Amino acid sequence: MSAGGSDGTADRAADPAVEEEGPSEAGPSLPAVELPRKRKGDVEERSDTPVQQGLDFQMDDDLSRSEGEDQQVKMKCFREPHRKIEKRRRDKMNNLIDELSAMIPACQPMARKLDKLTVLRKAVQHLKALKAGTSSAFTDTTCKPSILPHDDLRHLLLRTADGFLLVVSCDRAKILFISESVSKILNFTRLDLTGQSLFDFIHPKDINKVKEQLSSSDMSPRQRLIDAATGVQVQVDAPVRPSHLSSGARRSFFCRMKHSRVAGKHEDKHSLPSTYKKKDTYKYCTLHCTGYMRSWPSSQLESESDIDKETSSLTCLVTVCRLKPHVSHQPSKDINVKPTEFVTRCAIDGKFTFVDQQATTVIGYLPQELLGTSCYEYFHQDDLQHLAEKHRQVLRSKEKIETKCYKFKTKYGSYVSLQSQWFSFTNPWTKEVEFIVSSNRLVLGPGHTKDEEEAGSSNALQDDTKQIPVIPSISSGIGTMIYAGSIGTQIANELIDSYRVNSSPSSGASSPFGAALEKCPLVSPQTSRSASSREEAAGTSSQSQSESRTAAGASSAASESTGEPSQLDLDNIVVPGLSSFSSDEAALAVIMSLLETDVNMGQSGDFEELHWPF
Amino acid sequence: MTADKEKRRATSREAARKRRRVESDVFGDLSRLLPLQPSIRTHLDKPSVIRLTLSYIRMHTLLKENAETRHKVRLHPVVVGGVERNHCNGGRDEKEAEESEASEEMSMYLRTLEGFLMVLSTEGDMIFLSDNVTKYMGLTQTELMGHNIFEYTHPCDHEEIRHNLRLTAEQVWCGEKRDFVIRIKSALTHRGRSANLKSATWKVLHCQGRVKVCMSPSSISCLLLTCRPLPLSHTLLSTHTFTSQHSMDMKFTYCDQRVISLLGYTPEELVGRSLYDFCHTLDYNCLSKNHLNLCLKSQSVSGQYRMLVRGGGYVWVESHSAVIPSVKSSRSRPITHQPLCILSVTYVLSGVEEPTLQLSLDQTIHRYLT
Repeated sequence: MSAGGSDGTADRAADPAVEEEGPSEAGPSLPAVELPRKRKGDVEERSDTPVQQGLDFQMDDDLSRSEGEDQQVKMKCFREPHRKIEKRRRDKMNNLIDELSAMIPACQPMARKLDKLTVLRKAVQHLKALKAGTSSAFTDTTCKPSILPHDDLRHLLLRTADGFLLVVSCDRAKILFISESVSKILNFTRLDLTGQSLFDFIHPKDINKVKEQLSSSDMSPRQRLIDAATGVQVQVDAPVRPSHLSSGARRSFFCRMKHSRVAGKHEDKHSLPSTYKKKDTYKYCTLHCTGYMRSWPSSQLESESDIDKETSSLTCLVTVCRLKPHVSHQPSKDINVKPTEFVTRCAIDGKFTFVDQQATTVIGYLPQELLGTSCYEYFHQDDLQHLAEKHRQVLRSKEKIETKCYKFKTKYGSYVSLQSQWFSFTNPWTKEVEFIVSSNRLVLGPGHTKDEEEAGSSNALQDDTKQIPVIPSISSGIGTMIYAGSIGTQIANELIDSYRVNSSPSSGASSPFGAALEKCPLVSPQTSRSASSREEAAGTSSQSQSESRTAAGASSAASESTGEPSQLDLDNIVVPGLSSFSSDEAALAVIMSLLETDVNMGQSGDFEELHWPF
Repeated sequence: MTADKEKRRATSREAARKRRRVESDVFGDLSRLLPLQPSIRTHLDKPSVIRLTLSYIRMHTLLKENAETRHKVRLHPVVVGGVERNHCNGGRDEKEAEESEASEEMSMYLRTLEGFLMVLSTEGDMIFLSDNVTKYMGLTQTELMGHNIFEYTHPCDHEEIRHNLRLTAEQVWCGEKRDFVIRIKSALTHRGRSANLKSATWKVLHCQGRVKVCMSPSSISCLLLTCRPLPLSHTLLSTHTFTSQHSMDMKFTYCDQRVISLLGYTPEELVGRSLYDFCHTLDYNCLSKNHLNLCLKSQSVSGQYRMLVRGGGYVWVESHSAVIPSVKSSRSRPITHQPLCILSVTYVLSGVEEPTLQLSLDQTIHRYLT
């Protein structure tokens, strides 16, 4: 505990040893004259008598001396730290005096530092002056005195909280009371609102919600309460006794209220509340209302109804409605300022799982057309190498990775130049990468001429021969479309592998795969080709591609070292109905199992020589 | 020789006593000028008197401007209900009535808010605290006022507090808003009684407010905050809220049935999936900040973010969450090893926006199933 946490009566860190030391050091010879003085001062502080009583001095002196003599021996051990404590206290006092002198205008022009007594006297004068200048509430002892006049405090409070106090009756939602500050928030005057029905000012879609919150006797069985201590939901099925709700039952909800925009009434433009919907000429702002129900027995009301009936009592909701601040929510300015940027999210194998709606303006595809497809299908083949490298990098790094400009195929066949920033999101609990977030920016103009030239020159060569560029650890002579999708999965596989290796070094499953990868880099394209050719034959969409892999994964994930040829495995694939997408890990497990079977088939084969009939 | 020495000692003691008496008198005068209840006044020690005097002076300078502008405004007669009310010439009675109304309203406001008011200087001194701070921290207003907030908050939160106190000139002039969660010492026992500060526990406070500046005598800026402990108490949850439980990595472990009508997903579909999958990517800042707050401080209020609705579109939501032990504590299992989970109450703020927009894979499923 820090030493600062002192309460009013004991001005030191609560330490029984220290408290004893105070009165007891009278006996031993002390070099400084100050210490005895301070010590006796301590005594008077600790006593409960008022500060200004001087009569106790004599008594205290005698008391302290006798105590000191008794405990002289014991206190010798505590002398050192006691001095430090005393010094600390003196320093604190001096600091306070300095602060006080800084605050008092009268003390400021002085050249030399004033002594304690003078500062205190000047403080007394200053306070007297302040009191003379303010309202009489200070001297009025009937109402509870406080540091500030209540009026000022109220204004302070309301300015802080951006809210207003609202009391509505529960039966007809009549506004019984509303505080002054509402004019600042909703731009309606207090008079406009008092006596009106609350529903006139609430967004039509929220009316039901508010009705529910106001209802006190209507207990729907779906009420949920949360026990404060355990956080466990307490389900209340039986109707609750009205007394439970009569006072203290809390309410908390959000609602949208009308606010009229009258020009010139806004003090600061920055406090414009957030608006979600325009209806007629009004705008709405979101308020968070918290409060409680309060009821008064009808005996206090002039009502003809039976006094015994509780239902005739006036129940109302007392809430504080606060404007919700839009503080932490805004997206970073980068996205807004630069034109045409969009965000995508993809799984670790590069398949899109989220596409920002703004992407459509850039690449032509609607988000739903991209979802589930691998990003590699859209990259230009010249960029595949560099992007695959970046892909690998981002999966292993915690930083943002910038790509160079690359071409992205649009819906209409043409290419646009994009530049992206990728970073991977790692689940802090499992330490695995869950997805990659990509912030993509459209690049215009000649900023990337050099790349373009290179791409252009190699394009000229490749147009005729359709030669696939060599990417380290992935290469083959197969068609672009099918091949591209597999890059992502393979990169993802490597990552999964590295997790497995890290977590269970003894597992045999990963090592043959890893070894096979070094020896036969062409394994994966072949497999995915056969897999995807099979699926193409099936004629399903790209979504089912991963579906079948998922199913196959479920069925054959266990078989790691079977000698079955890949063809048989594929025969076992059953294209399931489109259930929910399970994690990509299942898909990857399939790939790995397929790859392993291939490895078993032909380990030493050099696949570059093989000629594929395509 | 000794008689002489003793005589000198006696005179010095007498002089010291006289000095002390004078000092105490001045302290007494000072404390009498402070607007405190007599019972509190007698129990104050000297540093406390100075602290409170400092607070008093600071608050006065802070509010003086405010009061001046208000009084200026009121110079123009205000037509209220057809009757002119000119506060400039207001008599004592009127002012008193106003004061009492104001005080009642203010106490009602603070009670309804379930929080207290705090004014923080840029160095972190708690210049002012409303008197209901006792209810939340167990320490009285006079004990705390004038002290530095860093002495009462969790050391890990100090950086965040400093960051919030750092103000540029522009922010000060705009009255920039602040919203953060901190852990503060609370000397309240379970039953609500005040205990010694040494046995204080940590309490999570949600502080919201804005910056205020006053120009004279020197430009002082400070932060006005309302601080409330985050409640997870009995609240009537409407149909527009749902509760959910998550493991510490934000994967759903349980969800209320109401989510079906609000988001379109069944609880079974959600269990095992991470919350991040169901929210708009651009809100990940808000979500991760919320998650971090939960892990560090055990309670959090998220800002407003978007949750994706099945079939397309999204809704704006806000979540209030807390970390609780997921099983009942038992003697056999020590507290440190208890598995924790996150309990979250999510308020849905809007209707479904842009219902045809599909941003995530999960949303597309709806199409094919029907």
